[in-house]
Amino acid sequence: MHGPPAVAAVGLAPHAMWRQRLGDTLFRGLTQAFAIGVLVLLGAVLVALAAGAMPAFRKFGFDFLVSETWNPVKETFGALPAIYGTVLTALIAMLIAVPVAVGIAIFLTELCPPVLRRPIGMLVELLAAIPSIIYGVWGLLVVAPVLQTTLQPFLIDTLGDIPVVGVLFQGPPYGLGMLTAGLILAVMVLPFIAAVIRDVFMTVPAMLRESAYGMGATTAEVVRSIVIPHSRVGIVGGVMLGLGRALGETMAVTFVIGNAHHIRASLLAPGTTISATLANEFTEAVSDTYTSSLIALGLILFVITFIVLAIANFMLWRLSAKEGA
Amino acid sequence: MISIYARRRAANFTIMSLSLLATATGLIVLFLILWSLLRHGVPALSADFFTKDTPAPGNVGGLRNAFYGSFMMTLVGTLVGAPIGILAGTFLAEYARGSHLGQAVRFINDILLSAPSIVIGVFVNEVMVVRMGHFSAWAGAASLAIILVPVVVRTTENMLTLVPASLREAAVALGAPQWKVIVMVVYRAALQGMLTGVMLGVARIAGETAPLLFTAFGNNFWSTNMNAPMANLPMVIFQFALSPYADWQLLAWGGALVITLAILVLNIAARMVANWSSFGK
Amino acid sequence: MTYEIQPIETPSRSRPHLIQMPAVDTPTPTPTAEAKDQAQPKVQIKDLRFYYKTYEALKGINLTLHDKRVTAFIGPSGCGKSTLLRVLNRIYELYPDQRATGEVLVDGQDILDPRQDLNLLRARIGMVFQKPTPFPMSIYDNVAFGVRLYERLGARQLDERVEEALKRAALWDEVKDKLRESGLSLSGGQQQRLCIARAIAVKPEILLLDEPASALDPISTQRIEELIADLKSDYCIVIVTHNMQQAARSSDYTAFMYLGQLVEFDTTETIFTHPKERQTEDYITGRFG
Repeated sequence: MHGPPAVAAVGLAPHAMWRQRLGDTLFRGLTQAFAIGVLVLLGAVLVALAAGAMPAFRKFGFDFLVSETWNPVKETFGALPAIYGTVLTALIAMLIAVPVAVGIAIFLTELCPPVLRRPIGMLVELLAAIPSIIYGVWGLLVVAPVLQTTLQPFLIDTLGDIPVVGVLFQGPPYGLGMLTAGLILAVMVLPFIAAVIRDVFMTVPAMLRESAYGMGATTAEVVRSIVIPHSRVGIVGGVMLGLGRALGETMAVTFVIGNAHHIRASLLAPGTTISATLANEFTEAVSDTYTSSLIALGLILFVITFIVLAIANFMLWRLSAKEGA
Repeated sequence: MISIYARRRAANFTIMSLSLLATATGLIVLFLILWSLLRHGVPALSADFFTKDTPAPGNVGGLRNAFYGSFMMTLVGTLVGAPIGILAGTFLAEYARGSHLGQAVRFINDILLSAPSIVIGVFVNEVMVVRMGHFSAWAGAASLAIILVPVVVRTTENMLTLVPASLREAAVALGAPQWKVIVMVVYRAALQGMLTGVMLGVARIAGETAPLLFTAFGNNFWSTNMNAPMANLPMVIFQFALSPYADWQLLAWGGALVITLAILVLNIAARMVANWSSFGK
Repeated sequence: MTYEIQPIETPSRSRPHLIQMPAVDTPTPTPTAEAKDQAQPKVQIKDLRFYYKTYEALKGINLTLHDKRVTAFIGPSGCGKSTLLRVLNRIYELYPDQRATGEVLVDGQDILDPRQDLNLLRARIGMVFQKPTPFPMSIYDNVAFGVRLYERLGARQLDERVEEALKRAALWDEVKDKLRESGLSLSGGQQQRLCIARAIAVKPEILLLDEPASALDPISTQRIEELIADLKSDYCIVIVTHNMQQAARSSDYTAFMYLGQLVEFDTTETIFTHPKERQTEDYITGRFG
């Protein structure tokens, strides 16, 4: 081709060009390396936990998952009480938190005067910012004593005698236990779920809302027949996200669960969760089998939460993808 | 007709009252917690509280060593975690829009964002504490960094995505290579948002307890050695609140008050930073 | 009169590529109209096609842009005029599903060649966008941004360069006392002139203006147009506009585009007084439907 080369045309130094290209390659490589690092981190956590858990799984086999025994002296370990406690407290938390969170989301999107929307939304988010250990301390020193003298005796007296359901509410009011842990967890995950559901409600097209109002529907009817059906996937996603948090939460639970490695029918009885067991016993574990069993618990927790969170994120993604389209 | 409408209005009133009640419950809980912290925590605040180290039961002491430890580990965790998170988030926003790698990283990152922090503690214990043979503040800082990274990745990506394409095009049109476009123009435009993200992340790790249990472990004495166990606020609160000693419980309340206020202030400040007008209009 | 046709001084140069062009129902500019102009051809576009994914946005464009002249691209929105402009510095490459085929020769070199270094290309070709795009940095740093990329200047030389560019962009008097203030603190019209200063500070050969005044008030628009008239003496300027008065006022040549095709290209005077195509006439007289 004729004409002067591009470099000469503006008097550019070749080394400048070379440096720019090198900079591009390096910077892209650097960011990519750290992005891949996120994947590697997840892999490393899984591998390290699996390797650490190996001795316990080898020694106890499948029994580890279904055995109720947790005996550090005899070195026999079963994960069932901890798994049971983890799932049960999380379920209690969801039963309490989800309706309240939906209520908050309805309030913030449909009812709240616009001026207050931001401040109240922010206060709810601040509730989420409080570290979980504070919930633990508060639960142990403030809430549990109150529950012990009020709610728990009331439940025992009123529901304890009913057949079938009654077993859930029998036994002495310890204050600490599954129910208290579930309650504290509910308060902890409430702001997370409320924030997600609020954001999902916001994605309902204004036109849909307006046409329903235009037909004379009340706010409650708009919520029930337009907003909630439209955001069903997102609500499930938000609930799963909260569930994932509740399953893995440590400090709020450790204070108030009561730390007992057994399974009792009563919700008032003390129990334990995987994370509470780890928090209480990991640094005390002297033998290899003990440590390995605890790591195995950690692995189980990680896998359970991974699955729950993966489903949650998948559903929230589907929603945002649909919205983007 | 009228009676149907009356019933509908009654139903509406009930449901709306319930939603108001739910919101009130949430806010009341927040104020109850703050009230408890103030009521029990304020009496603990004194000169000793900030200048003496954690005492034996029955002795006069404070939380100086725990404040120092928490500060150092949060600082190191932030200095390590924030740049990693910013770079990874940059990759997602600037290089990987729509790519499979980007999708995978985003998905895994969102999971790590809510993953149980105690498991991170177990992980770091295995790969650092066991190898080194002892608990250390480095290990504590490392687990905090791991918890910070996903938070920063997420906010960085979101904030960079908000930078208008026209600004990138204008820089590219001057012949700037992509890395300079990102570092000199896009980062500047997204600075407030990224700062907010880091601040929210710092607020999150400052109160983390679970991952420190098996990494930094705690220390009842003054120590500035990052290579040794180090006291930290959340763990002291954990230990003291569960103890039967009234003076320890008092210190735990004091610590809880300080850490909560610090985190709330950090959160509010982060939101204020985000509200500075970002890129022009 | 804001444009002028130079008297014939040199014999008309033959431009074989304009003659041998394939007939993709794109009219060739009349050789006589161009021949009257002694300006050198700077950019030669040959059978340019452009695709957004599979949608063909430019359907075989053939066009010559002259040095030290202003060429305006006009046409209804969606006609491809901005797309054509965005090919000239290959800024479309930022988006993975956009691509161009054909040839765009700048001083005889095909810039669509995959070996073309994009950063260098863009350093030679300045661009100003529809909305002002000041970078979030000081006024001084905005102007110096591009210069610092490719040149190692001393502080004094850089100061001079910035001053020169700001003067050229008719902004110097307004900002000389606040060079360290943020570029975002300026008014919309000032911001746009800052962007022009930033573009000319790197001494490009071609200046691409993508509806540079569409977001501005009439007074700012007028200043931008005066600026274009002034800059013409040094650059090959291409301006995309939907404002026909603006095209008539500030350009020497006008290309009318419609539905991805170049309908008519000629001197601005001819286009606005004796358009050959019915479509062109309809458009400039506002009868376009």
